[in-house]
Amino acid sequence: MSSPLYGLAGVRAGYDGVTVLKGLDVVIESGAFVSIIGPNGSGKSTLLKVLAGDLRVTAGTVSFRGAPLASMGRSGLASERAVVHQFLEHTPPFTVREFVRLGRFPHRRFRDEGAASREAFAWTVERTGIAPFLDRRIDELSGGELQMVRIAHALAQNSDVILLDEPVSHLDMSHTIRIMDLLYDLHRRGSTVIAVMHDVNVASDYSSLVLGIREGAAVFYDAPEKVLRYDRLESLFDARCVTIDNPITGRPFNYPVPGHVK
Amino acid sequence: MKGRYLFPVMAATGALLVVASLSSGTVMVNPLSIPGILLSPGDFPHDALLLSLRLPRIGMSLLVGASLAASGAVFQAVLKNPLADPYLIGVSGGGALGATAAIVLSLAYPLVVACAFIGSLAVVSAVYLMSRRLRFGTTSLLLSGIALSFVFSSAVLLIFAFAGPDKVHKAVMWLMGDLSIARYEILPQMAVLCAVLCAAACFFATHLDVISFGDSFAANLGVRPSSLQALFWTASMLAAVSVSLCGVIGFVGLVVPHFMRRVAGPGHRTLLPASCLCGALFLMSADTIGRSIVPPFEIPVGVITGFIGGVFFLVYMLAKGEYRI
Repeated sequence: MSSPLYGLAGVRAGYDGVTVLKGLDVVIESGAFVSIIGPNGSGKSTLLKVLAGDLRVTAGTVSFRGAPLASMGRSGLASERAVVHQFLEHTPPFTVREFVRLGRFPHRRFRDEGAASREAFAWTVERTGIAPFLDRRIDELSGGELQMVRIAHALAQNSDVILLDEPVSHLDMSHTIRIMDLLYDLHRRGSTVIAVMHDVNVASDYSSLVLGIREGAAVFYDAPEKVLRYDRLESLFDARCVTIDNPITGRPFNYPVPGHVK
Repeated sequence: MKGRYLFPVMAATGALLVVASLSSGTVMVNPLSIPGILLSPGDFPHDALLLSLRLPRIGMSLLVGASLAASGAVFQAVLKNPLADPYLIGVSGGGALGATAAIVLSLAYPLVVACAFIGSLAVVSAVYLMSRRLRFGTTSLLLSGIALSFVFSSAVLLIFAFAGPDKVHKAVMWLMGDLSIARYEILPQMAVLCAVLCAAACFFATHLDVISFGDSFAANLGVRPSSLQALFWTASMLAAVSVSLCGVIGFVGLVVPHFMRRVAGPGHRTLLPASCLCGALFLMSADTIGRSIVPPFEIPVGVITGFIGGVFFLVYMLAKGEYRI
């Protein structure tokens, strides 16, 4: 049997002495669409940083395609996975075209852009539908357009393994659907998508697996049909909710009940 | 004016400015006679003035202007702050202390340069070591630089408090940034050094593009901390060389790259060479004005860059109507 994409065993990690992840065991197979859900401060983003290789674990092991993640250099890792952080810290006024091309940075050759990069760029533009605003400045795009452009940048970098931190939490309905449809389509074509999700129902409709985290430990990790039920969610979020089946996708749909927080 | 017109226009303007700079000064030389003087020296009355005074001084101003602008462009990207300048991390404070000490001790000019350079490098090394302990973040670089600047400028003032007035005047002239005190014999060596450093910065142009989006963005794309450190040293060395050669010339490193970013765009492949060119021409023009405007006196170039540059930039900002950093 081939080794999984990610294998985490007894992972502890945190910042400046504060341990956020407290012994996490997770295996992520290649081609999965994993949503990470949980209350604020439960360690979702920290887990994503560990998977991205940005944060070293203080205990436990993380393997990537069978090899220890820590043994891969930063630039080696950069051509193996792409990360879309929650926010762009700075938006210097590059055009969309220049910004998406920067995604090819880990694959750069001296001076020549290379046929592979030109192909990846053309493919990315076609998949994400950003052709109409390639020449606009990224600091002048709407939130939804910028998010699509950032995903295009990630796809130009690597379309096999994509890690996203709350990719749709601040977007309107149409941009949410557009971006989630794109991620789902990539997953169906074999990409591994791992996303921290804010909205349980969006996670339910699109993921193949949902990982629930609370206080730095995994509470559940299974198909959304099995775990996104009111009993599991109530203990994860300390809120009351009602579960019905989404008539369109057939996946569980959860309503939080107003006025009922444990 | 992006793309293909930018460099031809700047080069043509530059050529005109060099000729204008050669012909102006306390003695005006007919610009039309300049090619003749350069081609066959000895036949004209002003050839010694042009060849041994103005030409090396123009060379020095171009060199220092380009170095300061390149240094500023790199610092603005590395520190993710469009208002960063080469002196922000304390290079000038260290250089000032070294130079002031040397001037007050009446050392020869080469030793003033050497002391200023040692002072600058001491500060850069200290900032580097301090911020490396704090994971080389933007804030730690800035704060250690600012803290050290205060320490060093206090030391300079302490020296002033005990030194004689003539020496203080000499040191103050140096602190203002003065091309008339520059030593021109070392110009070729300095030209090679600055060219190598500027080329190194240009080699990292795409790294700078990536870095300017933030640390986690750069980490995702695989930018190694060692590249950041290499860039920090390149920019610091450019600033240290400039400061040691002709004192603390303000404004060029701050506003030239900032202004060029609006003209040439944020991509460093264009921005860096454009900033070098613009910084070189700006400093040369400022120095030309400084040595021509009130003959027979000369105004130190640092005074001119600060004054003209500041007014020009204010007018530019107001004319643009909007101003976003």
